[in-house]
Amino acid sequence: MDNLPEEVQELMEALDEAAEDEDEDLVEELAQKLLDTGVDMKPVALEKLALLVMDGEEEMSVGWTRAALKFGLDPFEILLKGLAEGMGLIGKKYENGEAFVPQLLIASTAMYSGMEIIAPFMKQDENSCTKPATVVIGTVEGDVHDIGKSLVKTLLSANGFNCVDLGNDVPSTQFIEAAKENRATAVSMSTLMTTTMAEMPKVVKMLENEGLRDKVMVMVGGAPITTQYAAEIGADVSPHDAASAATWLKGAIFDFPSETERWG
Amino acid sequence: MVTEMTSLERVLAMLNRKPVDRVPVITGSTMVKEYIEKSGGVWPDYHSNAEMMVDVAGLMHTDAGIDNVVMPFGMFIESLALGLEVKMGKIDIQPSVRSFFKKPEEVNYDNFLEDKFVKNTINSIKLAKEKYPDAAVTAFLVAPVTLAGDLMGAENLSVLSIKCLQKEKQMEKMKEWVAVALEINKIYAEACAEAGADLLYYSDASASPNLVMPDFYYEIGVSAEKEIGDFCHKLGCLWQLHICGDTTPIIEGMASTGADCLSVEQAVKMEEVTKIAGDVPVVGNVTPLLMVEGTEEQIITETRMALDGGAKASMLGCGTPPHSTSDRLKTWVKAAADWSVENL
Ligand code: B12
Ligand SMILES: [Zn+2]
Repeated sequence: MDNLPEEVQELMEALDEAAEDEDEDLVEELAQKLLDTGVDMKPVALEKLALLVMDGEEEMSVGWTRAALKFGLDPFEILLKGLAEGMGLIGKKYENGEAFVPQLLIASTAMYSGMEIIAPFMKQDENSCTKPATVVIGTVEGDVHDIGKSLVKTLLSANGFNCVDLGNDVPSTQFIEAAKENRATAVSMSTLMTTTMAEMPKVVKMLENEGLRDKVMVMVGGAPITTQYAAEIGADVSPHDAASAATWLKGAIFDFPSETERWG
Repeated sequence: MVTEMTSLERVLAMLNRKPVDRVPVITGSTMVKEYIEKSGGVWPDYHSNAEMMVDVAGLMHTDAGIDNVVMPFGMFIESLALGLEVKMGKIDIQPSVRSFFKKPEEVNYDNFLEDKFVKNTINSIKLAKEKYPDAAVTAFLVAPVTLAGDLMGAENLSVLSIKCLQKEKQMEKMKEWVAVALEINKIYAEACAEAGADLLYYSDASASPNLVMPDFYYEIGVSAEKEIGDFCHKLGCLWQLHICGDTTPIIEGMASTGADCLSVEQAVKMEEVTKIAGDVPVVGNVTPLLMVEGTEEQIITETRMALDGGAKASMLGCGTPPHSTSDRLKTWVKAAADWSVENL
């Protein structure tokens, strides 16, 4: 971005400010002026959006999402290569111990507020796009810790998954019902307490009893959950954090039968 | 060799950085199911019935051999007394706070000491002092950052912990929440001290780098903890500070609060943090889950590892799990005693 003409850089700074002040009209106006410079703003906007989300800049992410639409970017591209890309960047940093939970949280707010802007434009495209895989997600019964669960949801959404969020303190039966109802591809369970870990094998057993175990992948996670524990209870995996959960599932669905094959 | 001490003398000596006959073994939350059942405690009555509470906590001392008697059993009393919604859990699940306030002005603590759970803490301290004069009677209290987090919601605390570093206005907001938390902390601390508590155990679970920015801890957390800590000292009470998770990045700040000892989790290397903490005693950091499913060997190894690393008392990394078994608790206490014989 540094090697753009000075005029463009100045307009971009002005757009930053207008976005920060939530001045929609000025954002539109400046976006138009940027277009008029003749510079291809599409890649610039995507890169900018990713960095803004990474830094958790909510207002600027909203402003630049509006600008990105004005530049003629496809809403899905804005989501995947801009907003979600930024969430992925901060997720990676967190994974490497270079960022903290509050940074993930403000990045997720920034991403979601950008998504709200493009949502109305994405509806029209729904038919043309392949249906995203659904993940039923929640924190198990007896446990109210849901910050980590919500981050897993955010990163799954950022990677194109459709999440059905059951919240926290979720009874085992509700996981089963939601999986059936939504023809889920995966069930993601979280817990932070050793006392509630036993809820996880309960859900796996119920899936087996209902003949649903082969229809869904089961991910378990949270501070006390280890890979070994996941294997013991018959879950498919326990990636160690929210970012790797999304990476893992993205890879795993390739080898997984399609929704119609599984659910008919 | 120091002559044999009572549990109380032992804990006080450790906190005052004096020689001990053996390293103390102390604990945080002690809602242990086996002891609840053994003493005839009934859920949820034992949370608000001083007799029942002290009987359960007392077994940790008389049966397991732990040097302090700790009450109450969870970090929800303050929130409940302020009118927040609390789900009472089960016999093996601690109660949890389920709602929060929108603004600091909404928090009303005029009748804090009238609440039946707060009263129960006070009555339990008095009763425990009577029944177990030789043990270190310890009040388990929510420290200011965590209480602020309960008031505004933990996720909001996390978010505000970064925003307040970026914007003055958000910093003002943060300070308002923490100020309210501190007012409540002081009212409760004073009542506990008057009731005769030997030690105030402050858990600042949410001040952890696992939830908030370490810079925020240094900027706001340290001074808040110091404020309540100084207040405890004025009341003539010693205080202990616990923060969850990997506290290595903030241990220096913790040591500067004036706490009489610091309690850390198994996520930290004892040897590393005792060096940073200098002459402030650090205690810990046996994996709590070992009390539920650990082998004798694992329990002994971890207990010794912490003491070898410079811990001044053996403690679990965090609260005692409800499913802890009495035989494992005893194995742990014995491991600390055996280590003392060889090393003191
Ligand atoms: C914030 C917090 C709370 C808040 C929760 C608010 C909320 N809405 O979530 C409040 C104050 C309500 C709370 C309540 C309690 N808490 Co609490 N709490 C914490 C704290 C400080 C941070 C947890 C957190 O949110 N971390 C940040 C998130 C992002 O991390 P995370 O959830 O682990 O998620 C990451 C990974 O685990 C992973 N992940 C999570 N889910 C999944 C799922 C999948 C599939 C995958 C792949 C990955 C994955 O991805 C995430 C990001 O990478 C911890 C201590 C600490 N410092 O860790 C204690 C802690 C978890 N709490 C604990 C306890 C005991 C309690 C209480 C019983 C309180 C009490 N002592 O009275 C009650 C719970 C009651 C109940 N029935 O649930 C204990 C648990 C002990 C144990 N191991 O059993 C801890 C460890 C502290 C302690 N030792 O006392 N708590
Ligand atoms: Zn802890």
